[in-house]
Amino acid sequence: MSKPIYELVNELPTKNITTFALNSLDFAVPGQWQNLVGFENTIRTVTGETDESMIQQIGDRAVYLFNDKSEGYQRALWLYQTIDGTGSNLGKLALANKVGEKVPLLGLLNRLTPKADKLQTIDLSLKLVVEIVAFCKINGIPGDSIGDFVSALVDNYTGPSLMRMAALVCFDGLIPLGPDFLRKVTSVLGGLTPKELEKNEGFKRINDSIPGSNTSGKLDFIGESFGSVKGWMDSFVRDRNLTPQKVTNHLQNFIDVSDDRLDYLAAFLDMSTNYYEHTGIQTLARSLVERAVAEI
Amino acid sequence: MKMPHLKKILASFLVATLLLASACTQTAPSRFDQAQRDSTKGGVEAVADKAVKGGSFNKFFPKSQNGYNVVYSQEKKGFAQAKLKKGSQEFATLSISDTTSTPSAASKFKTSSKKIGGYPAVSQGSTGTAVLVGDRFQVKVLSRDSSFTARDREAWLQKFNLSGLKRLK
Repeated sequence: MSKPIYELVNELPTKNITTFALNSLDFAVPGQWQNLVGFENTIRTVTGETDESMIQQIGDRAVYLFNDKSEGYQRALWLYQTIDGTGSNLGKLALANKVGEKVPLLGLLNRLTPKADKLQTIDLSLKLVVEIVAFCKINGIPGDSIGDFVSALVDNYTGPSLMRMAALVCFDGLIPLGPDFLRKVTSVLGGLTPKELEKNEGFKRINDSIPGSNTSGKLDFIGESFGSVKGWMDSFVRDRNLTPQKVTNHLQNFIDVSDDRLDYLAAFLDMSTNYYEHTGIQTLARSLVERAVAEI
Repeated sequence: MKMPHLKKILASFLVATLLLASACTQTAPSRFDQAQRDSTKGGVEAVADKAVKGGSFNKFFPKSQNGYNVVYSQEKKGFAQAKLKKGSQEFATLSISDTTSTPSAASKFKTSSKKIGGYPAVSQGSTGTAVLVGDRFQVKVLSRDSSFTARDREAWLQKFNLSGLKRLK
């Protein structure tokens, strides 16, 4: 059983590598993400409510909704957590005393293994699929409704959800794969076989949650998901003139990195951040609170 | 004579520190612990089996108008919600919920003397106004911007197809 939702939100870190990395993306999605931490704080911020008895009722109802497994919230949480679980504790181990200081990437190179393009492509695609499936679990749209997801992405994605997508584009697309990451992913996904997919660790873990009756069907769903969101990602990058260098420049506030080490920087971010879980909990809490206040 | 006394003080100080340190490693009690205990008992469900599908509520929502867009955001069993937006800014949320799952939500209307569109109405907290339709469906408008007033909420409540919703089974 999951931890209580209020503990998950109360225990979100206020300052770690994940929050530094996400804050560095404020230039791409200005003002969209403040690291909203604390369950009561979330209730007050999302609803604007100050009445204590209302806050109690909203929180109680949110707790009930989260704990009813058939409502899908716990599955969404599990997906956000599991897709981030592929990294290691490198961040915690190597950087326990470093928060607030600049991280010297050079000193960590021997502990980092950059991912080959194929592996990085699968990582990015699986994260995107998790986004779609979790979105549907949280908002209650049938699990394979890519079309509904894409319209929500355009019309309704704000706050932690938009920040998560920005991080996906920047940390899992632009930095590891370069400015033409969309073309690379399209080409790698096009040549991927079900057998190769089955060997992937991330896929093994979330396999059951991906729509499709067999691996081949799931691979189709992955390809279709990426195909539908590619246009949004392309506009996102173009509208902001995003480049790997721009993203790196903003990361340089807390990490020492040179432009020829971007694959190592990507590996570092992968291993030391859990931005899917972190912002996923924030998305989940918001959604629960918005529903709870409307139902009480 | 003084030494044993000092030892005693030191010992009790040490015990107190240890107790405090071990207490700090525990999660602090929360005002939501009771709900956590109650909702994790076997067989407890947050949404009643006979609650209607969220999708069946959609047709009773107001259409986009007067520069406001109605953007659907959640559709779960017994619940549907839309955001009222102008551009990217959110002004209010609109929702319909089946109180079969939340009897206390319906009971708050019993003491209401106010009516909107002919249905019992209540103000809730500082941001919400709701009506109860057919003794079962709660229709609620919540302000998400201070410029969206109680009067705006009442006006938007009346834009729902409340009489249609009343006939929903």
